[in-house]
Amino acid sequence: MVPWVLLLLPLSAFSAVDKTHGVPPSLLASYVPTKDGSQEIWTCIDGSKVIPWSAVNDDYCDCPDGSDEPGTGACPNTRFYCRNEGHIGAFIPSSRVRDGLCEPACCDGSDEEPGVCPNKCKEIGEAYRVKQAAERKLRKTGSKIRSSYIAFAQKEKKRIEGEIASLENEIVSREKEVARLKDIADHAESLSATALEQKKQSPLYQSLLAHHRALKSLQCEHKKHLEREKSLGDILDRLRTGYNPNYQDMAVLEAVRGWEFHAGLPHINDVKKDDEPSTEDESETGKDEEEELEPGMWTPQQLEHQLDELLDQDYESLLLEHDKHVGATEHSDSLLYNLSAYVPEPLLPQFEAFQNALVSWLELLGIVKPSKSDAADDSRAKKAYNDADHSLKLTRDELTKAKEDLSRLFDSNWYGKDGEWKKLDGTCLEKDTGDYTYEVCLFDEARQKPNKGGSTFSLGRFAHWNNGPGVEVGSPEYYSKQFYIHGTKCWNGPQRSVVLELECGTENALHTIAELEKCEYKITGTTPALCLPPDEPEKPREEL
Amino acid sequence: MRALSSLLLLVALPVALSVKTQDFKTCSQASFCRRGRALASRAQENVSSWKSPYSVDADSLAISSDQALFTARVKSSLYPDIKFGLDVRVHDDGVVRVRLDEIDGLRKRYDEAASWALVAEPKISQDIKWTVGKNEVRATHGKKKDVEVIVAFEPLKVTLLRGGKEQVVLNGRGLLHMEHFRTKLAAQPSDIPEEALDAEDAQTVLSANNPRSWFEGDSEDGYWDEQWLSWTDSKPKGPESLSLDITFPNHGHVYGIPQHATSLSLRTTTGESPYYTDPYRLYNADTFEYLADSTMSLYGSIPLMHAHSADSTVAVFNAVGSETWIDIAHPTPKSTETQWISESGILDVFIIPGPTPEAVFEQYARLTGAQALPADWSLGYHQCRWNYVNSDDVRQVQAKFDEEDIPVDVFWLDIEYAEEHKYFIWDKKNFPDPLDMVNDVSANARKMVVIIDPHLKRTSSYPVYQEAVDNGVLVKTKDGNEYEGWCWSGSSAWVDFFNPTSWDWWKGLFKTYPIEGKFTWVDSTEDVHIWNDMNEPAIFNGPEISMPRDNIHHGGWEHRDVHNINGMLFSNLTSQAVMARSDPPKRPFVLTRSFYAGSQRFGAMWTGDNLGSWEHMAVGIKMVLANSLSGFAFSGSDVGGFFGNPEPEMLVRWYQVGAFSPFFRAHAHIDTKRREPYLLDEPYKSIVKDILRLRYSMLPIWYTTFREASVRGIPVVRPHYVVIPHDEKGFAIDDQFWVGGSGLLVKPVTEKGVTETTVYLPAEDQVYYDYFTHQAYRSAPKGKNITVPAALHQVPLFIRGGSILPTRERPRRSSPLMKKDPFTLRVALDKSGNARGELYLDDGVTYNHREGQIVWREFKASKAGKGIKLSSHDLVRAKPTDAVDGVALASYNPTNDFAKSIAGVRVEKVVVLGLEKKPTSVKVAGGKEVTFEFIPGVAASGKKEGVSSVLIIKDPAVSVVTDWEIVVS
Repeated sequence: MVPWVLLLLPLSAFSAVDKTHGVPPSLLASYVPTKDGSQEIWTCIDGSKVIPWSAVNDDYCDCPDGSDEPGTGACPNTRFYCRNEGHIGAFIPSSRVRDGLCEPACCDGSDEEPGVCPNKCKEIGEAYRVKQAAERKLRKTGSKIRSSYIAFAQKEKKRIEGEIASLENEIVSREKEVARLKDIADHAESLSATALEQKKQSPLYQSLLAHHRALKSLQCEHKKHLEREKSLGDILDRLRTGYNPNYQDMAVLEAVRGWEFHAGLPHINDVKKDDEPSTEDESETGKDEEEELEPGMWTPQQLEHQLDELLDQDYESLLLEHDKHVGATEHSDSLLYNLSAYVPEPLLPQFEAFQNALVSWLELLGIVKPSKSDAADDSRAKKAYNDADHSLKLTRDELTKAKEDLSRLFDSNWYGKDGEWKKLDGTCLEKDTGDYTYEVCLFDEARQKPNKGGSTFSLGRFAHWNNGPGVEVGSPEYYSKQFYIHGTKCWNGPQRSVVLELECGTENALHTIAELEKCEYKITGTTPALCLPPDEPEKPREEL
Repeated sequence: MRALSSLLLLVALPVALSVKTQDFKTCSQASFCRRGRALASRAQENVSSWKSPYSVDADSLAISSDQALFTARVKSSLYPDIKFGLDVRVHDDGVVRVRLDEIDGLRKRYDEAASWALVAEPKISQDIKWTVGKNEVRATHGKKKDVEVIVAFEPLKVTLLRGGKEQVVLNGRGLLHMEHFRTKLAAQPSDIPEEALDAEDAQTVLSANNPRSWFEGDSEDGYWDEQWLSWTDSKPKGPESLSLDITFPNHGHVYGIPQHATSLSLRTTTGESPYYTDPYRLYNADTFEYLADSTMSLYGSIPLMHAHSADSTVAVFNAVGSETWIDIAHPTPKSTETQWISESGILDVFIIPGPTPEAVFEQYARLTGAQALPADWSLGYHQCRWNYVNSDDVRQVQAKFDEEDIPVDVFWLDIEYAEEHKYFIWDKKNFPDPLDMVNDVSANARKMVVIIDPHLKRTSSYPVYQEAVDNGVLVKTKDGNEYEGWCWSGSSAWVDFFNPTSWDWWKGLFKTYPIEGKFTWVDSTEDVHIWNDMNEPAIFNGPEISMPRDNIHHGGWEHRDVHNINGMLFSNLTSQAVMARSDPPKRPFVLTRSFYAGSQRFGAMWTGDNLGSWEHMAVGIKMVLANSLSGFAFSGSDVGGFFGNPEPEMLVRWYQVGAFSPFFRAHAHIDTKRREPYLLDEPYKSIVKDILRLRYSMLPIWYTTFREASVRGIPVVRPHYVVIPHDEKGFAIDDQFWVGGSGLLVKPVTEKGVTETTVYLPAEDQVYYDYFTHQAYRSAPKGKNITVPAALHQVPLFIRGGSILPTRERPRRSSPLMKKDPFTLRVALDKSGNARGELYLDDGVTYNHREGQIVWREFKASKAGKGIKLSSHDLVRAKPTDAVDGVALASYNPTNDFAKSIAGVRVEKVVVLGLEKKPTSVKVAGGKEVTFEFIPGVAASGKKEGVSSVLIIKDPAVSVVTDWEIVVS
C-alpha cells in the first residue's frame, strides 16, 4: 500500500462568514438563533428543518429551501443581497457568489471573499447619479416634446369633433336630398319601367351585358396574372441575385438563365452582382415595348387606366341614348342643359344636382317643358339620385373614419390614453444601412428599399403594440414595441415582419436594424412619445 | 427477414431522400471501384481455382540484422516485367506494418499518406527476429510469444496469428492488385463517356485471348480520362488503383472506418443478402442533408477498422489518402471479409494486434497520436447559430443566458461575421466593435469561436488572398494555373497546406498584434478560438462539391492522391497557429468538419450538417461512438439538428444527447427559428437548464476521462464491447454507452413520446444505481434488460457499482468560474463494498501539465472491519509515466504551484450508496467526527432491488489535493 500523507488543513473555507452576510434588510429579523438547551439552533425559512446556528453560512447547503446559505452561494437557486452602501442595494443569483468575478451589481465587492473585490460603490454610485441625471434631463426634454404631442392630440380632438359635427350636418342635408331625388327617380322609373324592360330585351343590349361580364372577368383574371407575374418576377430577381452558383445545380442555373433571357437581363455571373444594369440592357428591354399594335387596339396603359371607365358605364343610359340615336335626331340644346359646359369642373357635381333640381322644379311650374324622351329623363333622374346617394355614402365613410380617429385618439391600444402617439401617425422614419434603406411609417407600413436598385419589399403593416404575456396595456413597456406583420412573403420563408423597439429619446429616429431570423426584423429607435415626465416614479431598483 | 427489411428500405428511400444523391458517386460510377468489385466477383466465381498472381521472390529477401524488418521483391505473374517492393516490419508494441510499392515504375505512387497520419516514426522492435522458411518468413512476438506473423511467398499472403488462431489475413482471398503505371496507347479508344453507357458496355474490349483477363477482366474499364456529370477527370497518370482483401477469420464484428451515418457494428455490403448495396466509401465530401442510414461518404475519413470477438480485438489501419471503398461481408456470423479499393497510393497497412480493445486503442494512439487534451472550458456548452447577426446580438444572447442563469462557455460566429466572407475581416457594418464584443464575452470567463474557412475570396484587396498569391501557396489546376472555384465567398482559391511555405505564413495570420508588412488578426484576442468548416474541401461548382482530382498540390501530387488528408492539414495548421499566437502557448480549440487519421491531435470534430430529425439524433450517437473508436474522441453532433425547426420535445432530448457527448454544441441553420434554451417555454426551459447544469456538474468526470484519452488513446465515450469485451450481447449495442472509465452508463432517449425505455445491463454480477433516484438494479452474468422510467425530464443514467464520481454541484455561469468550487464525491459501492474513481485537474489552458503542474487523485472505498474506509491517493506518484500526454514526469512535486493554488478546494460532501447499515460514526482519520445523515435502503451486497441506502457525509473538510482517509464505522 502506498503510504499516504495526512495534510489536514483547516478547510472550512468560510469560517469567518458573518451569519447575516447576503441577507436583505427585510429578512434580517429571521437570521437570529434560538436556544435549544445549550445549543444555538436555527429554523430554515420555510420551516422544513432545524439546524445548528453554526450551520448558517457555513458554505454547506443544509436547508431544502437554501435559506441557510444566504452569503456563500452553497445553495443553488437562491439570491444574495449586497448592501452597496453609498449606492443602491442589489440582489444577485447565488451562482455568482464567490465565483471569482466581481459582480458589477455588487459594487461593495461583498459577493467575493474579502479582499478580492474593491468597494467601488462611491464612484459607481456617483456615476450612476450622473447617468440618472443625464437620463432625467433627456427625459425632461423628451417629455416636453411629448407634452406637445399631447397638446396636438387635444387639438386633433377638437378638429375631429368639429369635422364630425359638420359631417353629421352634411349627412342630414344629404339624406334629405337623396330622399327627394329618390322620389323623383322612382316616379320617373315607374313611368318608364315597362318601356325600359322591353328595350332591355334587345339582343344588342343583352350582348352588351354579356360583353361586360366577360370583360370584367377578363380584367379580373388579368389583374391576378399581373400580380402573379410580378411576384414571380420578384422571386426570380431574388433568385438571380441571391443564388449560390452552388453545387452546379443545373435546375437553378437554367431558371436564372431563362429568366435573364426572358427579362432581357445580362447574365449575373458576367457582371458584378452589385452593379446596376447597364444602359445597354435598358435599351434591350425597351425593345419589347415597341411591339406594334393593330390600329385601334388599346395600349397596355389604356387597358390599365381606361378599362375601368368603360366598365363603369351606365348601360341603361346607353340603351336609352341608343334609342335616341336610332330614333329622333333633333335635340333642343337649351342653355340650361348646356350650361354644364361652362361650369368649372370642381363644381360640376353640385351644379348638376342643382341643375336637376332646378329643371324638375321648373318643369313642375310648367316653365320648362319636360324633355321629350321620358327614358332620357328617367335616366337623368336616376343618375342624379345615384350620384347623391354615392356622395352620401362617401360622407358617411368620412364620418365613420373621423369617429374611428376620435375613438383611437385616446385609446390605449392605439394612440395612448393621452393621445401622445397621434402626432406620429404616418410619420416615416428612415435608416440607411448601406445595402438597404429601411423605412417605417408609424402606424402604417415598414419597408425595405434597396439602395442599388431592385424592388422595395413591404416588411409588414402595423398590427399592434407589445401584447406579450404579462404586459399591461397602456404601460410604458406596452408602448416599447410595435409589431408590423404580413409583409411581402419571402420566397423560401415566412411573410416579412418587424418588431420596432422604441425607447425615450428627443428625436424620432431609427437606430439599428437586424434580421435576427430569416425575414424577421428587429428595428430599434427612439421617440419623445415614450419620454414620461421624470417625476413619474420608475420601478425601484431594489426590485431587481 | 433481413432481405425483406432491405427491400422495404429501398422502397422507402425515394421519399426519404434529402441529400442530392445524384451529386455523389456510387461504386458503379467510379471506374476503379467498378474494377475492384469486378475483380472480387471474378474471384468469387472461380473460387476453387483462384490464385493471387502476386508472389514474393524469396531470393530477394533482405532481413535487417538488428531489427524486425525485412524487404523483398514481389512480382506479379500477370506482368513479369513490373517490379514491386515489399517492406514488412514489426514495431515495439507488436504492430505489423506491411508496405508494397511499385519499384522503378513509369511514375511514383503517392507514398506520403502515413507521414501525415503518424505522430512520429514508429520504433521497430529490436527483440524480434524473422525466420526464413522455404515457403514463408515468420516471426513470433508478444509477452507470451503467442503472436506470430507469417508472410507466405506464393501467393503473397500476410497472416497474424495469436495462439495459433488467425487474427488478420492480407490477400487471403487473392484480391490484392496494384495497378502498375503504363503508357496510354494512342490506338486505344478510351474516351468513352461512362454515363452514356452501362458500366459493362463502357469497357474497352481487349483481344479475346488476353491471358490476364481471368484476373483483370476483358477490358480497360475507365483507365484513362473519366466523365462525371459535367466534369472530366483527365487522369494523366492512368490507372493506379489498389485493391486489397483483409480477412478477420475469427471476428464477427467490425467497427470504425468513419465517417458514415450508420450503425456502430458495420453491416454487410456484399456477400449473401447484404444490408447495403454500395461499399462504405471514404471520400471527404460536403454531403448536404445527408441520409441517416447509408454508406455514403461524409466529411471525414479514418481508414481504421476494429475487429472484435469475445476473446480477441484487433484492428487494421490502412494509411491511404485517396478515395477508398470498403466492402464488408460475414461469410459466417463469426468471421468477416473485407475488400479495400483505393484510387491511388501505395499499400501501407498497419496490423494492430490487440488483443483487447484497450490495447488496440493504445497501439493505434502510438501510431497516429492520442486525442489532444482540450482546454477545459471547451468541454462546457457551446452556443452557435448561423448567424448571430451583429455584436449587440451576441451581447444580448449572453445577457439572456445570464438572466436565466443557464450555463454556457462559448459563443460562436458563423460565416456572416466576415465582410463578403473574407475570413478574418469583420463586417464592420454589423460588427463595428469586435474587440469590445469579445471582451464583453471574456468578462464572464467565456470564449468565442469564430469561423475561418479555407476558401479565400479572389480579390487583391483581401490581404490573406494576396499574401497567399505572393507566397505562391495556392492549389493549382492540372495546367499549373491558380485554381478557381466557387464557395461562400464567390470566386475563391484554396491554400495548398501540403506546401511547407504556407505553414509559417498561415500561423502568422493569427497573431493578435501587428507585424510590419504582414496581415495579422489584430481584431481578435486570445479568447477567440477557431472553427474550420468546408475543408473537405467543399467547392460548390466542383465535382461531388469538391476539388477536381487532377488539381496539383505541392510536390506535383494530384489532388486524388491526398484528397482525404487535405482537410486535416488545414485544421492542423490552424491549431498550431492558435497555439503559437500566445507565449507561452495555450491549448488551442479548433473544430474541424473534415478529418483524417491523426486529426485527433489538433482539436475537435462534429458530425456536420445533420437534420433536426429523430433519426439523425439517434445516428449522431453512433457516429460519435465510431469516431471515438477511431481515435477522434473529441466529437459531437449539432444539438437540435442543423436543418429544420425541432419541436420542443425533440430539442430537449437532443440536449440530453449533447450533454453526454464529448463535444457539446447547439447549432442551427440561418433559415431556422431561433432556439436558444432561454427561448423555450416551460417546462422545457427548466428541463434544458437542468441538463446543462448536470453537464457542468460532471465536467470533472469528463476532464478526467479526457486525460486518459490524451495519454492512452482510450475513447471518452465508450461502447459496450470496449467496457465489457466478453459480453457478446453488447457487441452491436450502440444506443447506450459509457462515459470513459468513470462507471457512468447512459442511454439518451432518441424517440418521440417515450416515458420508459429498456436499458441493457451487461453480463456481470453487479449492482447499478440510478444516478438521480439511487434505485439499485442488478445485472446478471448473462446480461439483462431492465425497463426504466424515461419521461422527458429523465435521462436514463446509471452508476456501475464500484465507481466513485467527483462532481461540482454549484451552478455557475461558465466553467472557469467553478475552479474554486468544492467537490462532491458519489461513492457507488459494488457488491463487495469497494469502489474507486479518479480525478484529474490542471490549469486547463496551458501546457504546464507537462511540467507536472497537476493534481491526479485516486479515490477508494474499501471494507474496513465492519465499516468502510474512504481514501484519497496521489496517482501521479503511482504512475508518473502515465500521468500526462506526451511526457513521462521524471520528477513530480505533489505540492506543485497548481496544486497549491487549489489547496483550499475541498470535498464538501460525500454520498455513499449501498451501505448495509447506518454507521455509528464518521471520522476523518487524525481529525474529528463528521456530521452525517443516513437514509436506509437496499445494500450493494445481496440481491434486492429498490432504492439503495444513502449516506451523506457533511463537509469532511478534506482538501482535494492531499491524501486523506475517512472512516465510516
